[in-house]
Amino acid sequence: MEFDFTPVIDYFPTLLKGVGVTLLIGLAVALLSILGGQLVAVISLYTRKVVNWPLRFFIWLFMTTPLLLQLYFLYFGLGELILIPAIVVGILGLGFHYMAYNADIFMATIRSVSSGQYEASRSLGFGHLRTLLYIILPQAFYRALPQLSNNMIIMVKDIAVLSAIGIGELVYVSQYAISITFRPFEFYITIAVIYYLINLMMEAGQSWIERRAAYRR
Amino acid sequence: MIDITPLLVKAAWVTVDISARALFFGFFIAAALVVMRTARLPPLRWLARAYISVVRGTPYFVQLLLVFYGGPAIGLRLDPFTCGVVVGAFNIGAYMSEAMRGAIESVESGQNEASRSLGFGRLATLRYIILPQAAGLMIRSIGVLAIILVKNSSLVSIISVVELTYQAQRLIGSTYKPLEVFTLSALMYIVIIYAVMGMVEFLYRRATRYTFR
Repeated sequence: MEFDFTPVIDYFPTLLKGVGVTLLIGLAVALLSILGGQLVAVISLYTRKVVNWPLRFFIWLFMTTPLLLQLYFLYFGLGELILIPAIVVGILGLGFHYMAYNADIFMATIRSVSSGQYEASRSLGFGHLRTLLYIILPQAFYRALPQLSNNMIIMVKDIAVLSAIGIGELVYVSQYAISITFRPFEFYITIAVIYYLINLMMEAGQSWIERRAAYRR
Repeated sequence: MIDITPLLVKAAWVTVDISARALFFGFFIAAALVVMRTARLPPLRWLARAYISVVRGTPYFVQLLLVFYGGPAIGLRLDPFTCGVVVGAFNIGAYMSEAMRGAIESVESGQNEASRSLGFGRLATLRYIILPQAAGLMIRSIGVLAIILVKNSSLVSIISVVELTYQAQRLIGSTYKPLEVFTLSALMYIVIIYAVMGMVEFLYRRATRYTFR
């Protein structure tokens, strides 16, 4: 059994394009899920039950069903009603999935900011909304950072799943290359290595962010 | 219209089956990794650490594709179901070994020293002093991993194991009723996950009967 990595080298520009798409999706999903997660957390903590109950239900639904099923539903299910491009479905699906997990973290860290902070701020003349924006949320955000970056590291690995609905990220482009070269082992090993390197870089980034954020907590 | 419920129930059973088997074998892989990480021989420790790092650093999805489609190139031919169990077990084993190590390390080190000074051996200390105190935390964190395992089992549909997600996708394609099929299959996942949570809670209560919590 001999291995031949020349097809991998031939298709390396294609793979790099796939890496680019993977990273861009990762960036979009990270922004969507962190900002959205914060919004969802604030709404479900500070509004009436009529407003926040449906939201909590969606968080629960996204957390108790598998990502792939959610993607299939969004792509094949909603695709019957309105035509949405796969890339948008992918970013929204992955974004909502991790929005649920991030909202869960934000809810915990917002609660963990002591109520004295809120009272002090109100007595200094800040309104309710300003107190939230300038006093509570920044503190909650820094407390959430370690778990947030953990979630984002897990999320980047889940981008591989998006190949199932035909998004041209790393796994998808290599499946295309495999269908021409018939070298699955070489290509999948290469992808695993690329993903491992991305993961190592993200872990390094995580410890850098945590060092920077430690004194702000 | 064909009746979708029996087909989905059957597929849900495959999901349970594949996850349960992966969890069972994963437990032993995790235990072996924990032992290797505390071994006296440095290469064993390095091997375990490298294995855990690589498995946790690459997507489960890519691991499945590599073993199923790339495996034959190195003489590893598995049928889809077996492949799902094997990759699932080796994947969850790496995560579980970290959970076990965390639980064991959460027990105060004075417990170990006191036990050793009272004449218990290394193994007896682990069995009678450390593990009973670590069991509660260990069961909780393995429970979280079991739920992740159930949700990850949907990815096995990509190597054509007819489990819940695969069947759901097929039924959406043939019935054009995505809402019904999705609601039913999501409901089944939720039932499975709540069953796992119930079992974890039961085991947790049993394990922490005699410890102060």
